[in-house]
Amino acid sequence: MATKTATKTKTAAKKAKKPATVIKGKKKIDQKRERGGKDPKYYEVFARKNSDSDLSHVGSVEAPNDELAQVRAWYIYDQHNWREMCVVPLDSIITVTEEGKSAKIKMG
Amino acid sequence: MAYTPGNTGSKLDENFENDLLAIADTRLVLGNWYAECVMNGRSLPDFAGILGMCTSNYGHTRAIYQHLAAHGHDYAHLERGRGAEDIRSMNLLDEAPTGWEDFMVSTWLAELATWMLASGFLKHEDRAVAGMAKKIGEETYFHLKYAHGWFQVIGEGKKQTELFQKAFAERFPLALQWFGPASAKDLVHAAGIRDVPLKKLRDAFTKEAASAEKFVDAKLKQEKTVKFAKDWRSDARRVGAMPEGLFEVVRFKDAELAH
Repeated sequence: MATKTATKTKTAAKKAKKPATVIKGKKKIDQKRERGGKDPKYYEVFARKNSDSDLSHVGSVEAPNDELAQVRAWYIYDQHNWREMCVVPLDSIITVTEEGKSAKIKMG
Repeated sequence: MAYTPGNTGSKLDENFENDLLAIADTRLVLGNWYAECVMNGRSLPDFAGILGMCTSNYGHTRAIYQHLAAHGHDYAHLERGRGAEDIRSMNLLDEAPTGWEDFMVSTWLAELATWMLASGFLKHEDRAVAGMAKKIGEETYFHLKYAHGWFQVIGEGKKQTELFQKAFAERFPLALQWFGPASAKDLVHAAGIRDVPLKKLRDAFTKEAASAEKFVDAKLKQEKTVKFAKDWRSDARRVGAMPEGLFEVVRFKDAELAH
């Protein structure tokens, strides 16, 4: 009787250890692609609250293309009901005072 | 801003109500798809985007339920009192996505189809309905753009493109089916409630769906016609009842949390 109970307990323990879903093979993750494309770019985000206010720098986003940059900017910087928002690829900014160096845009 | 329905209390045309519920219920399931899949987002900005799309879809659903409640329906029943067979969501969303490519294809097609139908009410005589359609359009603009951005990324990989093509071939007919048989009577348009004929909306949807080819830079198989099963429910724009497993995911579980 005791042996039978021990066998039952062992079987139950084995069953409990078995995961509900068995994943076949290891998933290969292409970090660059999975995080948003071959060459993620930086975009600076500018917005204004209404037609009277200045277009201000509100932040930055990283995205593989213009479409994802627009959407990511819209959902991340949603602290106001912006009247106007635009994104500018960082590499399109031509520095004047720091000629030859990359632009450094700080949050206002 | 407080909700201000048009002619409150009047009963709406039954076919018009069916169209509204088909949009609202599909957006309810779509919102739940986003909620369930958000952790599969590829980066932190993706989480923000997917959650944003989730909440705006819930918002569309609730705005439509509120409009129906202002016209004789019980809001609590619409939101929490219906069973799996009563929820009129698109068959396209019955099956969970099999991967990221399928998720992008499916959500995009569902967004596009529901927006197309909603756009038919942009000039509705009730400003509340026209306003809802406009709002759905404004928010769907970003949802579609999100998909377009991802289509380009998917198009950069051979295996990913193949998965995209496979998903499109399987999901597109289900989205097209949602518009109903081409030969069916367009009662909402005939009654003057929707100024755009359903055929025109279906054609616009098909044309727009084909535009995915240029984003993913690959040929897509697009069925021209759909075979309708005998149990097609024209009022619900779907075949059969929503699967029980999906119903358990989408049903509102806590009345307090729902408001």
